[in-house]
Amino acid sequence: MAHQAHAYHMVDPSPWPLTGAIAALLMTSGLAVWFHFHSTTLMILGTILLLLTMFQWWRDVVREGTFQGHHTPPVQKGLRYGMILFITSEVFFFLGFFWAFYHSSLAPTPELGGCWPPTGITTLDPFEVPLLNTAVLLASGVTVTWAHHSIMEGERKQAIQSLALTIALGFYFTFLQAMEYYEAPFTIADGVYGSTFFVATGFHGLHVIIGSMFLAVCLLRQIHFHFTSEHHFGFEAAAWYWHFVDVVWLFLYISIYWWGS
Amino acid sequence: IFPLCCCSQEIQKVALRSFSSSVRRQLDNKVPQKQKLFQNDGIPIHLKGGTADALLYRTTMALTILGTGYVVYELVKAAFPKK
Repeated sequence: MAHQAHAYHMVDPSPWPLTGAIAALLMTSGLAVWFHFHSTTLMILGTILLLLTMFQWWRDVVREGTFQGHHTPPVQKGLRYGMILFITSEVFFFLGFFWAFYHSSLAPTPELGGCWPPTGITTLDPFEVPLLNTAVLLASGVTVTWAHHSIMEGERKQAIQSLALTIALGFYFTFLQAMEYYEAPFTIADGVYGSTFFVATGFHGLHVIIGSMFLAVCLLRQIHFHFTSEHHFGFEAAAWYWHFVDVVWLFLYISIYWWGS
Repeated sequence: IFPLCCCSQEIQKVALRSFSSSVRRQLDNKVPQKQKLFQNDGIPIHLKGGTADALLYRTTMALTILGTGYVVYELVKAAFPKK
């Protein structure tokens, strides 16, 4: 059996990039078919394929790292760069929506009444549920840091408790935000205010859900002894992502909820 | 590979167990066994877990191929609208 004379990871051939690409094709074409021909079959098929791809791809990464030992220090460094670059791309994604918000709100047109918030819009009180949401996410940032230190110090039970608490706070945020959406006195169709509000906060909410799922997977892995006190990059990546989600909310809160009200 | 339905029960058991060191259902560290199972032996990583892997792979690939065919059909249909 051949052994490699280097510390890098030559990955086994995998079908998941292909199935993922087809999933993207099906989802996008499915969106167009839904819009024009009122059938959701293609889009749903694409989504199922995407979920199957994500599950199997990331299952394989766990196998390669935790069970086969392929995540040597140079490989881990590459994974760190990758996660940082991905989060940076997400920052630019949100920057676009903040640009749209400031474009419309800094110079409100006559159609809006020449003011911001536009005439007729009842904004949400930033010191009610939005402030609670801010506290919830900030607290979750503390608990995820507690979880990290627990893992590094080999405190298994504390790591599980603090990670579970972080996830619970994430779900609480999502629940509160869903209630706000339901009760809001304006909709996405209410001019540029509605558009910027719901698109920016909506994508943020989606990222909270994604981050919560990532942390939940880390919780399962922590319970199953996958992480060691020296090596737990999956958790670190999830924590970085979670802090990013928290920071985006802070910008949303200051810009849209507070300044924009 | 970890079980998908790791319910809150398990989490509670592990999180709330505190002072008692008496016998209780404990989650054992199965990582060393997994490390043995996934040794390099020519089988690609996405199939190395056994039958379940193969079933899941075949289902995914079947959906991929069917989906590709279906999307080509829908796109061709959309490109030639019936008058």
